[in-house]
Amino acid sequence: MHKTRPAQITSPVVSLNGGQVKAIPMLAIAGAIGIGLALAISFTTEVPIKRFLMSYLASFCFVLSIGVGCLFFVTIMHLTRAGWSATVRRIAEIYAMCLLPMFILFLPILVTVIAGWDTVYEWNEVGYSAHGAKVDSANPPPIEVLKGAFLNPMWFTIRILAYFGIWGLLGYTYLSRSLKQDETGDKTITAKLQGLAAPFLLMFAVTVIFSSFDLEMSLSPLWFSTMFPVYFFAGGFGAALCTILLTCMYLQRSGRVTDEITIEHYHDLGKLMQGFVIFWGYIAFSQFLLIWYANIPEETFWYNPRINGAGWKPMTYVLLIGHLFVPFFLLMGRALRRNKKLLTFSAIWILCLHWLDHYWLVMPEYGRTLHQGINESFTFTGLAAIGDLACGIGMAALFVALFCWIAGDRALVPLKDPRLGEALNHEVH
Amino acid sequence: MAEENTTEENTQLVGLLAQFDDPDSLLAACDQCRQSGYTSTDAFTPFPVHGIDPALGINRSILPFIVLCVGLTGLTIGLGLQFFANSNAFDGISPFKGYGYLIGGKPIFSVPANIPVTFEIIVLSSAFATFFGMWGLNKLPMFSNPLHRISRFKRATNDKFFLVINSDDAKFDRSATEAKLTSWGAVAIEEVHQDLTDTKLPKWLSLVGILLAIVLLLPPIMIFRAKGMVNRQTRLHFNPDMDYQEKFKAQTLGPISDDEANPYLFADTRSMRQPVVGSVSYGNLDTDSHFFKGLKADAAPKPGEDNVADYATEFPSDLEINEAFLARGKQRFEIYCSVCHGYAGQGDGLVNKRAMGLAASGKASWTTAKSLHDPVVKDLKQNPVGRLFNTITYGRGTMGPYKDQITAEDRWAIVAYVKALQETGLPVSSEKKEEAEPADEAAAE
Ligand code: HEC
Repeated sequence: MHKTRPAQITSPVVSLNGGQVKAIPMLAIAGAIGIGLALAISFTTEVPIKRFLMSYLASFCFVLSIGVGCLFFVTIMHLTRAGWSATVRRIAEIYAMCLLPMFILFLPILVTVIAGWDTVYEWNEVGYSAHGAKVDSANPPPIEVLKGAFLNPMWFTIRILAYFGIWGLLGYTYLSRSLKQDETGDKTITAKLQGLAAPFLLMFAVTVIFSSFDLEMSLSPLWFSTMFPVYFFAGGFGAALCTILLTCMYLQRSGRVTDEITIEHYHDLGKLMQGFVIFWGYIAFSQFLLIWYANIPEETFWYNPRINGAGWKPMTYVLLIGHLFVPFFLLMGRALRRNKKLLTFSAIWILCLHWLDHYWLVMPEYGRTLHQGINESFTFTGLAAIGDLACGIGMAALFVALFCWIAGDRALVPLKDPRLGEALNHEVH
Repeated sequence: MAEENTTEENTQLVGLLAQFDDPDSLLAACDQCRQSGYTSTDAFTPFPVHGIDPALGINRSILPFIVLCVGLTGLTIGLGLQFFANSNAFDGISPFKGYGYLIGGKPIFSVPANIPVTFEIIVLSSAFATFFGMWGLNKLPMFSNPLHRISRFKRATNDKFFLVINSDDAKFDRSATEAKLTSWGAVAIEEVHQDLTDTKLPKWLSLVGILLAIVLLLPPIMIFRAKGMVNRQTRLHFNPDMDYQEKFKAQTLGPISDDEANPYLFADTRSMRQPVVGSVSYGNLDTDSHFFKGLKADAAPKPGEDNVADYATEFPSDLEINEAFLARGKQRFEIYCSVCHGYAGQGDGLVNKRAMGLAASGKASWTTAKSLHDPVVKDLKQNPVGRLFNTITYGRGTMGPYKDQITAEDRWAIVAYVKALQETGLPVSSEKKEEAEPADEAAAE
């Protein structure tokens, strides 16, 4: 009954080989259609390009945070010498490698910054507004001058290049070393990566902290919260776990991966998913509670449209219930976490709400800068919302296309990882 | 006095205990046991063996659900209490008038502000539910267990694996069950007897207990009575010397002197004095590198250096190597070293066997614990006593350091014992040793 399996991959080398090549153009077209639709629909709104680019930014951050989460997954697995995850690690490695080409997807926004337009980031104009009202551009208030030292096109561009460069470096190191090990079986590669994971974790932390500041928090340049990066990370890592889980499910259903991934792996991913759902809620509340309690206008103005704005208030409750309570109970208990259908559903559910989370972070800033007021009632209705959704779906399609492209003919499971034995025999006694 | 009455007539057969030598044979036996329909069973192992629960047919614990229910109750109580305490909704209904505090301009009942307290109460109640629920489900506290009457069973915490089939099992049959256990590979089988001697407490003890309980009730009663009382008498000082002490607190300015030029008594102004130069903190006086490190007096190896010429070849002169010292060494060796190196030092300890088993299936990485009879380890030229001592102190290769667990003197005692083991070859073969062990212990009792 308790059969220990040999510490090697017995089924033929598993890869997407060929089958997915066809899928790449289709996914790319789907992405283009989705994003194109969003662009087209944006012309029915008050400020066409702005509306589109903000929605684009929300969806971009949604997939970016997943890639970043996968990078963290690989780092932490190496750092803790995790054995169980050896067979699912390759998938995370490939997603982490997607971060570098995603720089191209960020270009439309970067262009507006370099051109000096305030289409997306209002700090890109001297004398930007604090609470809506434009101020005298000849005599900007001191705080804005101060922030201008950090938030200006050149610095921003340098930082963005650094983020994607570092993520690319980390992602490439992990994937290329791991692929090399597939060929040579060199065990020292694992030891080396474990050593590298520690400095990589620091580089990861710094880049994630500042990228979340730059990409999303600076939409409201006078607002500040040191909790924001943790919030970005918590949601992103949870979504990354869901993405890894869904990819495993798909690969296994389509027969590309067979018995390398067992119910025990799904169970463990499910446990982590629940853990990070709770962590997300904990961080979201920590950020909210302090600002709510202190009740200082400098800080509360960010929350005000989100929890008092007629359109955003229900969305905030949807997030609270949908992103915290529903998955908390969906993933509660061993039987539920070992039910593949339910796990798949939970993963899709969390991913949808993770998109909504980024939408909720970004879009109220569109309304705030547009209507110059804090209580505007921007709602998630009508044609424009369909455009936003299309943008999200399109961006996700591009992300999957990137995955397929990078996965290509490469093995989807490390073939000669020294910890394969542990992973294949995970919970086999 | 109960001891004397413990005769065979006073005991009752409550089950059969079967011993196994390794986790795999125990697991296989558990599996067979379940398939044969036994339900009132239990297994005992020195370390958690995964898969025993399903093998014995033990269902998953209901503890998580208990914790969930208690946690949700905690949530209700936590929120409810805060609502009740601050609200004036119950004025007139309840004898208690709500505090009605307005804090920071927040509403009287404000959920975000109450979440932290509620959260803590959920965590606390869940932790209690887990802890005491585990006690309850395991029928703890249990002051005695018939298994402890069997000396062989003591090794369940050391290196042996046991399966018990209780006599209240519907399928239990003294001889048939024993035959089955034997066929499943039990190394030894023993009857488990429960002591039926009168277990009632003597009357006078219960009386004392009741009296004590009454006396213990007095202080709370007095405190309750004194509630809200005013006392105009000066406080009693039972220990005035301590209550009014001439002293300076640490980390403050020191005593002031009469000298105008040097207003502080101590030049550095602080009240706290520095330790005398050259003081050594307690337990760190390891100046004698022979005694504490196993090195020659003049040797100063760099960290990581392993040079035979540096190690002392003799025992420290102030140690007297006699029988008592060797006996101490044997005892310490069997506590600290035998788990890996085995009782006879052949490197066949349980931890080593288990780790090698896991390593073979790729589930762990481990280098085998060396046999202490290995010619290199044994050779006094290549491995002088100082080096042996150094190995125990700082570890070597995969083996960890034992400096902090074992005192220096005991480490030398272990070295002496290891030398004795090596000198006599294999004094008791490890197999014989294992069998001799329970007998030894039985004799000791
Ligand atoms: C946790 C298991 C473990 C325990 C407990 C343990 N050892 Fe070891 N011991 C080892 C291993 C493993 C090695 C082999 C180290 C290597 O070669 O990397 C070893 C090696 C040795 C060696 C040979 C070192 C050499 O010269 O290469 C000696 C001597 C030794 N142990 C003595 C002891 C003594 C005495 C104790 C009790 C204080 C003890 N060990 C406790 C695991 C253990």
